[in-house]
Amino acid sequence: MSQSGPSNITARATADVYTRPDQPGRPSRKAGRGFSLSKVVLILVVLYLVVPLGAALAFGITSGSRIDFSGLQRTFSNPDFGQTLLTSLELALATTIIMIVLVTPTVYWTHLRLPRARPLLEFLSLVPFAMPAIVLSVGLLQEYSGTSGPLINILSLGFVPFLNNTFNIINTPPLLVCAYVIIALPFVYRAIDNSLRSINTTVLTEAAYSLGSGWWRTFLTVILPNIWPGVISAALLTFSTVMGEFTLATLFTIYTFPIFLNSVGQNDPHQAASLSILSFLFTLICVLAIIVLVRFRRGGTGGIGGQVEITGTR
Amino acid sequence: MQQQVARGRATSSSAGESLKAAARARRGGGRSWSYTLTSWLGLVPFLLFCLLFEILPAIIIIQGSFSDDTTGAPTLDNYRHMFSSENIHAFQNSISISLVTALIGGGIGALAAYGVYNLRTGWLRNLLIGFSSIAANWAGVPLAFAFVATLGVTGFVTAALQNWLHFNLYNLGFSLYSFWGLVLVYVYFQLPLMILVTLPALSALRPEWREAATNLGASNFTYWRRVGLPILFPSLIGATMLLFANSFGAFATAYALAQGAINLVPIQMDYVVNGNVTVDFGLGNALAVGMIVVLLVAVSLYTTMLRRVSRWQGR
Repeated sequence: MSQSGPSNITARATADVYTRPDQPGRPSRKAGRGFSLSKVVLILVVLYLVVPLGAALAFGITSGSRIDFSGLQRTFSNPDFGQTLLTSLELALATTIIMIVLVTPTVYWTHLRLPRARPLLEFLSLVPFAMPAIVLSVGLLQEYSGTSGPLINILSLGFVPFLNNTFNIINTPPLLVCAYVIIALPFVYRAIDNSLRSINTTVLTEAAYSLGSGWWRTFLTVILPNIWPGVISAALLTFSTVMGEFTLATLFTIYTFPIFLNSVGQNDPHQAASLSILSFLFTLICVLAIIVLVRFRRGGTGGIGGQVEITGTR
Repeated sequence: MQQQVARGRATSSSAGESLKAAARARRGGGRSWSYTLTSWLGLVPFLLFCLLFEILPAIIIIQGSFSDDTTGAPTLDNYRHMFSSENIHAFQNSISISLVTALIGGGIGALAAYGVYNLRTGWLRNLLIGFSSIAANWAGVPLAFAFVATLGVTGFVTAALQNWLHFNLYNLGFSLYSFWGLVLVYVYFQLPLMILVTLPALSALRPEWREAATNLGASNFTYWRRVGLPILFPSLIGATMLLFANSFGAFATAYALAQGAINLVPIQMDYVVNGNVTVDFGLGNALAVGMIVVLLVAVSLYTTMLRRVSRWQGR
């Protein structure tokens, strides 16, 4: 959320840790006995990460020196709380679905039939790093303001004027969802690409083809079940990114949960602290789900990475 | 015969080539262009989406930065405005806060990552990786408020220091709502990110290398100076660039914390485009181009370093 929600840079690193084909190896047994600088630093870092959490928790449920949940109660009784939460949930769900439907088949298709296009996809998935949410929103605001010049109209193959005139999508949730899809692209692409690389995509596909299965059937019944953990990790990260996204929503003036959080928190630090903890719990659930899922798959079905492994051709 | 060769090669080559070769064998080389065409057609929805919502916004920003806001005539005025003292100051602030937090996060984070890597208990390792993932992804508005609760004027730690040690941070000149306060908050999400990014690089260090160095009489220090650090160097630089980009684009955290009291480029952009007084998209575009240029430097350094790393990781 550094730049918007959880930043896409962070989310990409997270996706990488849990979906990369070669899992981090074991260190040499020799290292790390007893006292060492790195351990001391590690302990200090963990303290640094825990203290604000503890402080926010303490601050959120106390007033003066006694336990007091009235801050939380005030939040829950605020009608905007439920409403903005619902808006954010809807946006997150829509983004996640579009993201998965758009990216998964595309990456599989590229792996299978157009490896030449992979650098292009890599490039497109890295562009959001150089174009943070604030820049993207400034661009989108002008693109769909209805005053875009002939250059854009032609370059967009007529889609920009079409979207403008027919749907008037400026400052609407659908445009926000499309922007979120772009923000989420770096880590979703990464997670799915990693997963496809860790299974034997070609061999599985050829086997399915030779048994008479078509492309879609192969994709849905053979490939997708094998890359499921990667897809779900990507989906969960997208979900938590959108739930926390602030920048684009502010500039598109759409009243989402983080904006509610910001406006409440500016006046009432106790409520703000308790809401912070709530949002931490939400992130916790999303990341825990990824961990449990990946572990379960790896441990449960056996084989390297719990995937179907066909040896010999790699 | 030729078909057999083609098929034989196909099984050992990569996905697309194999199927393409098979298809070519099936149809006879002459019509492979139609296969290529259908292959590209499969990418159309995705590419169109990226064009509409990723590439065109970039083009419109670049185009808009060189044209007048109202008349649309070509002009350099936007850039002239961008080089006014206030905006230059914003760039200085943004770049220095990103550099400082990237260096602090990178240095301390790398050491902490080495600590995690050295942990012998698997569950503790996984717990710390999991916690880093959560902490890194928990940022923006909630993080800003958690820090207000910690180090704000009435914050928990501020109050504890006052009560127990009888010194007041704010009397000593510290403020959470200043440059260094913001550094503290940014470091919170930089550290765990560094741990997440560095761990895979550390696990690419083979124990054999260390054993070989030790057998040749290298001390621990020599091993790190001659073997460990040179191999890790590209990863560490790449990761630091990533951290830089991560905080350079940061908006929500700074906005929620200081409500524009600290002059950063994203804050300035929001003010210019979303302000109550005037809206100046031309200047907004110029600032955006400035941000893109700075980030391009960081991201291309990152990708260059990544390419070097892959040589050692055998990927």
